[in-house]
Amino acid sequence: MAIPGTEHLHNPTTSSSWWQRLGWHANAKANNQARHSTPASNAPKSLRVALQLQRGAFSLELNNCLPLQGITALFGRSGCGKTTLLRAIAGLDRHAGAQVQFIDTVWQQGNTFLPVHQRRIGMVFQESSLLPHLSVKQNLLYGFNRLAKHIDVHLKPEQVTQLLELAPLLQQAPEQLSGGQRQRVALGRALLSQPQLLLLDEPLASLDQQSRGEILPFLQRIANTTGIPMLLVSHQLDDVVKLADHLVLMQHGRIHSQGPLQQQLLQPELAAIGAMSLLHAQSHGSKHHLLKLSIGQQQLQLPAPLPANTTSYSPTSYRLRIQARDVALSLKPISDSSVSNQLQVSISGFSPAPHPAETLVELELEGQPLQALLTTQSVERLGLQIGQRVFAQIKAVALD
Amino acid sequence: MPELFLALSPQDWQAIQLTLKLCLYTTLILLLLGTPLAWWLSLSQSKLRTAIQAIVALPLVLPPTVLGFYLLLLLGPHGAVGSTLEQLGFTHLAFSFSGILIGSVIYSLPFTVQPLLESFRRMGPRPLEVAATLGASKLDQLFSVVLPLCRGGFIVAATLTFAHTLGEFGVILMLGGSIPGETQVLSVLIYDHTEAMNYAQAHQLSLGLLIAAFVVLFIVYGLNRRFERGTV
Repeated sequence: MAIPGTEHLHNPTTSSSWWQRLGWHANAKANNQARHSTPASNAPKSLRVALQLQRGAFSLELNNCLPLQGITALFGRSGCGKTTLLRAIAGLDRHAGAQVQFIDTVWQQGNTFLPVHQRRIGMVFQESSLLPHLSVKQNLLYGFNRLAKHIDVHLKPEQVTQLLELAPLLQQAPEQLSGGQRQRVALGRALLSQPQLLLLDEPLASLDQQSRGEILPFLQRIANTTGIPMLLVSHQLDDVVKLADHLVLMQHGRIHSQGPLQQQLLQPELAAIGAMSLLHAQSHGSKHHLLKLSIGQQQLQLPAPLPANTTSYSPTSYRLRIQARDVALSLKPISDSSVSNQLQVSISGFSPAPHPAETLVELELEGQPLQALLTTQSVERLGLQIGQRVFAQIKAVALD
Repeated sequence: MPELFLALSPQDWQAIQLTLKLCLYTTLILLLLGTPLAWWLSLSQSKLRTAIQAIVALPLVLPPTVLGFYLLLLLGPHGAVGSTLEQLGFTHLAFSFSGILIGSVIYSLPFTVQPLLESFRRMGPRPLEVAATLGASKLDQLFSVVLPLCRGGFIVAATLTFAHTLGEFGVILMLGGSIPGETQVLSVLIYDHTEAMNYAQAHQLSLGLLIAAFVVLFIVYGLNRRFERGTV
């Protein structure tokens, strides 16, 4: 499938697919496919970055392809080079010798350097970056009013206002807004510049817990409805697990590993922060405030999110975040326990946990990975072995 | 005192007019030259920056006579610039309005650049980065972000430049002498009046300048306070 908006690089009049999903343009699909019959356009779209720099003790060296699909998280400790990488991709910093290639368009290579304002990116910075001399409405339209004539408008101001629930804020000045509202406006402003790539530099870092809660669902909503690929820089594993599809783990100025989030969560480096798993589940509606979910053949029930948290948007699939220490294992199903979510799993491996007395048990649940943190003593007592089928009792789940 | 001001001679009026013209031209030219220079200074990582900054600040510490002396050598009939102009069929620039205008521009340069530089730094690079990611070119950024956000800096820079040119003396005397209607500005005329023992005439012009300078500075500091309170 074509990645949103990218075809404009070659043909400014072609359409892309994400806004068709929104139903804004019904007939364009055939058109779109006809124009993408070349073999190259079937290859997965990616962003290629090569960067090498040394600043005192800090060094950055990478040569990687990042996927341009869904939300890709650049995750790592502060100072590992995430923001430097993001700024190089945006073109905000020009490093000698760096290479940036967006699908098959060179943004930087040798003497070629496409200036920031000509790259079709939207960027949201860590702290509020609304232009203080403009109202919310003027901020939103700043990029929109500067669009080149040949660029098709897929996201109209009314649509973005609706998507991000900005209508009540339009006439206000940036300083009247809360932190969460400001980031929402910044997000809307970036979207209205019709970007082919959204770059989010720790957009939640300067917000308190409540404001984060006001932004997160919107980020998910943008990813789901617009299909614009996003690069999200974060040092909060929680946020990453809530949002990302693909995780790029950065360490000491290098890309340590990257891959689908579920698999990446098995990396020992992430387990050291707090082993957790991500499960994708289908929703089957809720009854008596209990949400019924299925993972393959298996069912589970969880307290349904209260309406206030979800606004009018009710997803058909959920992400379940499960801490490894909230998973217990038993050889037989347990009936006399308060834990109601019990799933049949098979053991796929063992790995050492950060604490010497504990072991991480890697499990497989309907093809999805799940981790349980047990004491090594328990593992031995139960005689757990690879390939064995056991029952996982899940004590706590966070729902996104 | 009021009758003193009624006694302004045509020569005095001519000097006032010339002074205002010089101040206005200097301010306009310096805003045009000083803005890109201050912007470059606020952004540049280049090693040249320190040198340029020192050169910009030179008029603050040099005696105006030194500046005037070198400009006289340079712009006069035997100077590099002056003789070239003569060869091209123009006149050299010593003892002319153009000459003292060039002198004023150089002399007041720091008073334009410093306030602008300060306000650019206070603004920081972020608003420009935001504008760039939203598709604004450098020139667009200047008009849609820098000018509105640094309005205070521009007002202070313009007022200080104007006021500083008003008080210019040494450079003009060295470079321009005292030609009525051409180079005889107020400060020079006051000097001439004093030399000629016309204390009353010197007094009324001096008092006028004193009050004008006070009013201008009062406005500048008033604006500064407002802008510091964040109502930029």
